[in-house]
Amino acid sequence: MTEQRWQRAVPVYAVPVQTRAFMLFAFMAIVGVILSVYREFVGLGPSSGMTDVYSWGLWKTWNVMVVTGLGSGGFAVGIAAWVFHRKRLHIVTRTAVLLSFLAYFCGLVLLAIDVGRPWNLFWMLLPWKWNTRSPLLEVMTCMTAYAVIPLFLENVPPVLERYYYLRPELRKKLAPIDNLMTRSFVFIIGLAYILPMMHQSSLGALMLLGGQRVHPLWQTPLMPLLYVTAAAFLGYAGVTLTLLLTCLFYKRPVDTGVLAEMNRIAAGLIIGWTALRFIDLLARGRVGLMFTPDVYGAMFWFETVVLIAGAVLLFSSAKSRNLRAIFNANLLVAIGGTVYRFAPPMLAFHPRAGAFYFPSAIEILIAFGFMSVAVVGFLLAIKKLAILPAPNSSWYAMASYAKLVRPEVQLTGYITAKD
Amino acid sequence: LLHKIAAGGATAVAAGTVAAALPQVAVAEEQATAPESAIGLLYDATKCIGCKTCVVACAEANNLAPDTRLDGLHQAPLDLNNFTKNIIRLYRTADGSEFSYVKSQCMHCVDPACVAGCSFEALRKEPGTGIVSWEGIKCSGCRYCQIACPYSVPRFEWEAFNPKVIKCELCKPRLAQGKEPACTTVCPTNAVVFGKRSALLAEAKRRIADHPGKYFENRVYGEHDAGGTQVLYLSHVPFEKIGLPNLGTESVPSRFLKWQHRVYKFLAIPAVLYVGMVGVMRGNFKHHQDEAAREQKETGLRPQL
Repeated sequence: MTEQRWQRAVPVYAVPVQTRAFMLFAFMAIVGVILSVYREFVGLGPSSGMTDVYSWGLWKTWNVMVVTGLGSGGFAVGIAAWVFHRKRLHIVTRTAVLLSFLAYFCGLVLLAIDVGRPWNLFWMLLPWKWNTRSPLLEVMTCMTAYAVIPLFLENVPPVLERYYYLRPELRKKLAPIDNLMTRSFVFIIGLAYILPMMHQSSLGALMLLGGQRVHPLWQTPLMPLLYVTAAAFLGYAGVTLTLLLTCLFYKRPVDTGVLAEMNRIAAGLIIGWTALRFIDLLARGRVGLMFTPDVYGAMFWFETVVLIAGAVLLFSSAKSRNLRAIFNANLLVAIGGTVYRFAPPMLAFHPRAGAFYFPSAIEILIAFGFMSVAVVGFLLAIKKLAILPAPNSSWYAMASYAKLVRPEVQLTGYITAKD
Repeated sequence: LLHKIAAGGATAVAAGTVAAALPQVAVAEEQATAPESAIGLLYDATKCIGCKTCVVACAEANNLAPDTRLDGLHQAPLDLNNFTKNIIRLYRTADGSEFSYVKSQCMHCVDPACVAGCSFEALRKEPGTGIVSWEGIKCSGCRYCQIACPYSVPRFEWEAFNPKVIKCELCKPRLAQGKEPACTTVCPTNAVVFGKRSALLAEAKRRIADHPGKYFENRVYGEHDAGGTQVLYLSHVPFEKIGLPNLGTESVPSRFLKWQHRVYKFLAIPAVLYVGMVGVMRGNFKHHQDEAAREQKETGLRPQL
């Protein structure tokens, strides 16, 4: 990995789509999909470890609550770039919104597999039948609306761009769509930031109704705010880790300046978030529980220490620009944040003394299967579309390569600038 | 109270950052109270002999198959489950010095957490009677009711293709025929009786007054607990021991969702945030487009959105 400035999204080219890793993920995805069909036939009991006591299993708590948190980059990076005018972050928004779309899409499909009577979800389309008090209603409708409208539209420009270059005869037809996209863009991305704020906070509100069954270290009226903030820093970690891994695998140059900027934002969020948690515990008079020598106290300190260590390392690696340190810092954040998001609905949820939940093999395979669907989608997209950031020189290199293998393609700037 | 105010205050600060632009919306959220016509049950643990007749009668009245999964012979459910809307269990200390039977079924809360959480009102509080009933056509099978119910009452048909939520509905069909619920009809010792909630509450208080010291804390569980329930309990052992947790007097939804409701009131705060963000972004977007156009002139590369 060499160090350069990211200027432009460039596809991963001259690499076959069907690599061994791709096939592995595709296989896992197919296994997951087949098993989810099996689940529809035999019911939830035989295909999962869920019971009346732990009635929310891995699919809701992991694939929806945690993975959409890790996939909140589209919201976290986008809002910093467009609303808070962090101009350098524009270059990574395509990666971020693609990750978000895949995480949400797979989470929502799995949510529909998780519910027992999915055909009754059509009530979502009838707003006058909604129970507006329900946090779950807010999550379901708002997440679906987000994934289907703004998040989907945010991912349209790379697709239009592909057709612009590969099918020059379509350019005239695509121009009005491009135009409409540009004119309505701020309204779309406005939705793309307000909706995640709503449903990522409502994910926390879900467990408010769990009341005393959620351990008091986590059960707080601030849970919605903590959840949405955690989604933001998890989103940054998700985007940074993805960028570093893809740069490593495909030997693309890294722009540590952009990564450092994301590091600093995430670190600031984590510190504010941790402070808020401690203030909240003080205000609720629950500080003592932190020092109770049980699994909950240990988990609380694990979250706190890992996240604070992550934040410190985020700051220091933003200064030193050491890629390994940046990677480790974001990995720590991802782990700490994941445990936090996993705690209220699962790890710190104790509906009954002695009750225990462990997901069944089928449940785990389906959960990972649908994460593999997202990975497969990502690997396809970065090779077919201009998603990952690179310096302009990579674009030129791609253009020369394309000139050799696809002489009919006109890539602007280097070969000809007909348009 | 102090720590509650403090916790509320902390949320207020958070919500206030977004709400600052708004004029103070007066949100007077009053706790729901049971209507005069509310009906329910009164269960007196001191009178129950643990015969489980009510368990059998309940299953029969609700067309539920006898749960013989324990030994394949006896109808002996271990807990509320997909065949069991009502159960009698025994609480007993290790040395046997203290024991009590306890009947469990839906508490028909005055302000139920399950109803507050239910997305499409599949679970709802029936007007008049106050029965918490379930309507299959509106249920998506999400099982949020099971997460929310502080008494762990709703049960799910885990093996079914089109699973139902199984819970006591106070024998609604029998009430329509002018009969009482099955459990109160068959109880040989009148440990569980049916009636209007107000009348049952008066009866319970009369029993406490007649036998001071007999009942735990000399109080009726469900009068105020969790905002009030329509199934009331009298017990000689601590309520917590027989599955009735100490939930405070505020209902679960009003206690835990208060701030959620305020933030979402008329969607005003999200709407203001949206308009504000779009306003900010229009300037930023224009700036961005200009910059991209300048870059295109320099490099000849088509701008990317």
